[in-house]
Amino acid sequence: MTADIHSLVGAYALDALDDLERAAFERHLRDCSDCRSDADEFRKTASRLADGAWSVPPPRLRDSVLAQISNTRQLAPSSPDPVPARIGRIDQPRRVRLITAAAAVVAAMAAGTAVYAVQDRRVRQEQSIAEAAQDSEARIRAILAAPDLTLREQPLTSGGRVTVAVSRLRNAGVIMLAADDAPARGRIYQLWTIRSETPTSAKALTEGESTAVQIVEGLPGASAVGVTVEPAPGSTTPTTPLDALVTLT
Amino acid sequence: MAERHPGSRPHLAPVTDPDPPPAIDTLLAAVARSDREAFTRLYDLVAPRVYGLVRRVLRDAGHAEDVAQEVMVEVWRAAARFDPARGSATGWILTIAHRRAVDRVRSEQAAADRTVRVGAASVDTAYDVVADEAATRQEVRDVRRCLDALTDLQREAITLAYYQGRSYPQVAELLGAPVPTVKTRMRDGLIRLRDCLSTAVTA
Ligand SMILES: [Zn+2]
Repeated sequence: MTADIHSLVGAYALDALDDLERAAFERHLRDCSDCRSDADEFRKTASRLADGAWSVPPPRLRDSVLAQISNTRQLAPSSPDPVPARIGRIDQPRRVRLITAAAAVVAAMAAGTAVYAVQDRRVRQEQSIAEAAQDSEARIRAILAAPDLTLREQPLTSGGRVTVAVSRLRNAGVIMLAADDAPARGRIYQLWTIRSETPTSAKALTEGESTAVQIVEGLPGASAVGVTVEPAPGSTTPTTPLDALVTLT
Repeated sequence: MAERHPGSRPHLAPVTDPDPPPAIDTLLAAVARSDREAFTRLYDLVAPRVYGLVRRVLRDAGHAEDVAQEVMVEVWRAAARFDPARGSATGWILTIAHRRAVDRVRSEQAAADRTVRVGAASVDTAYDVVADEAATRQEVRDVRRCLDALTDLQREAITLAYYQGRSYPQVAELLGAPVPTVKTRMRDGLIRLRDCLSTAVTA
C-alpha cells in the first residue's frame, strides 16, 4: 500500500515521526488545510495526556532560565512553521555542518529559516553525505519537495537504517543509507532496486563508506529497495542475505 | 503546585485548575512584548507542568532539567510566534516541551541502543505510568477514563509514542503490528480520545 502523507497526521501530533518525515510533513501542512486543522486538534488532545504530569522543578532551574532569557533575543512574529522549530544552542556555521545534506534540504523547504538539530548518528556521517549529495542537490531538492512524497524506513540488520523517499510525480526517489559502521575490510554496502523480482544495482559504496544518498530515477516502478553487504567492489546480483528490505508497493 | 487533595475532603466543584488558561494566554501575550516580569509569572505557572512532562518522557532528572530549561527559553524566544487561533498557550508550551523531550530521548536511544529491541514489559510500563497517577484531579480522571475507552492497540500506540517518545515504526515493532496499522491507530485513537475528552468537559 502506498503510504499517503495525510495518514501521518496522528503520528505527527504525537511526535512519533523521525526528523525527515517530520520536516516533510510540516511542509505538507502548509499546503493541506485538512491536515492542518487535524494536527491542531490532535495536538490539543495529545497535550491532555500531559495532565497530571506535574513535578516541581529544582529552584536553580528558575534562576538558570531567568539568567538565560536576559541574553536571548526574541523572534519576530509571523512564523512560517506550523509549530516552533527546534533551534540548537550552537552557532550558525556549525549548525549547518551538523545537518546532513538530505535533511537540510527537507528542513530548508519545510521551515524557511528553521534549523533542525540532528541525532548523533547523522552527525557522525554528515560529512560524507554532504559530499555525496552536493552535485545532485537540486534534483534531491526537487524530489523531496514533491507533494506526493512518501518516506519509508527500515533498520539494517548490521546496525543503522535505510530511508527511501519516493515521488510518483517526479518519477524518482532517493535512497538514504545511514549504517552505523562500514562493513569489514574487503566488503561494501550495495543498494538494489527490485523490479519484477529482479534486483538491479543502484549503487555500490566503496570500502570504508557507511552512508550514501542515491537518486534513483524511475523508482516508483520498483517494488522494493534492498541493501546487502557484498565483496568489494560490488556484485552484479546480490550474493548475500538482505541487510534490509524496504517494500514500496 | 501538584497538591493532591485527599479524597475525604469534599469538593462541591472540581478542584480548581491552578493555571486557568486565560491567565497563561494573557501572560504569554505580554511575554511576546518582552515583558520579563510576565515571563517570571508564566514560568511559575507552567514550569511544573513542563518539567513534569519532560521528566516523564526522559526518566532522568538531570536530562529533564536540561531540557526543561531549553523549553522555557524557547517559550521566551518564540512567544511572538504563538497563534491563539490555533490552540491554547498551555497547549503550545506543552507541544514544545514534548517535542524537545522526544528529541532528547531519541538521541539517547540512538546512542545507547541502535536497534531498539525492548521486551513487552515496556509496553505495560507506558500505560501503568498513567494508570498509577494518583492525582485526584478531574482532568486526570477524564484522561484515564478516555484512554480506557480506546482499543488496546490504539491505547498502546498512543501511550508508547507520547510517554516514551517512540517513533511509529518503533511502536509497530514493539507491538508486533504492521507499520501502516499503527499509523492509522494513532490517528483514529486520537479522534476517539478527542471526542471522549470533549464530552468530559461539558459533562
Ligand atoms: Zn494532508
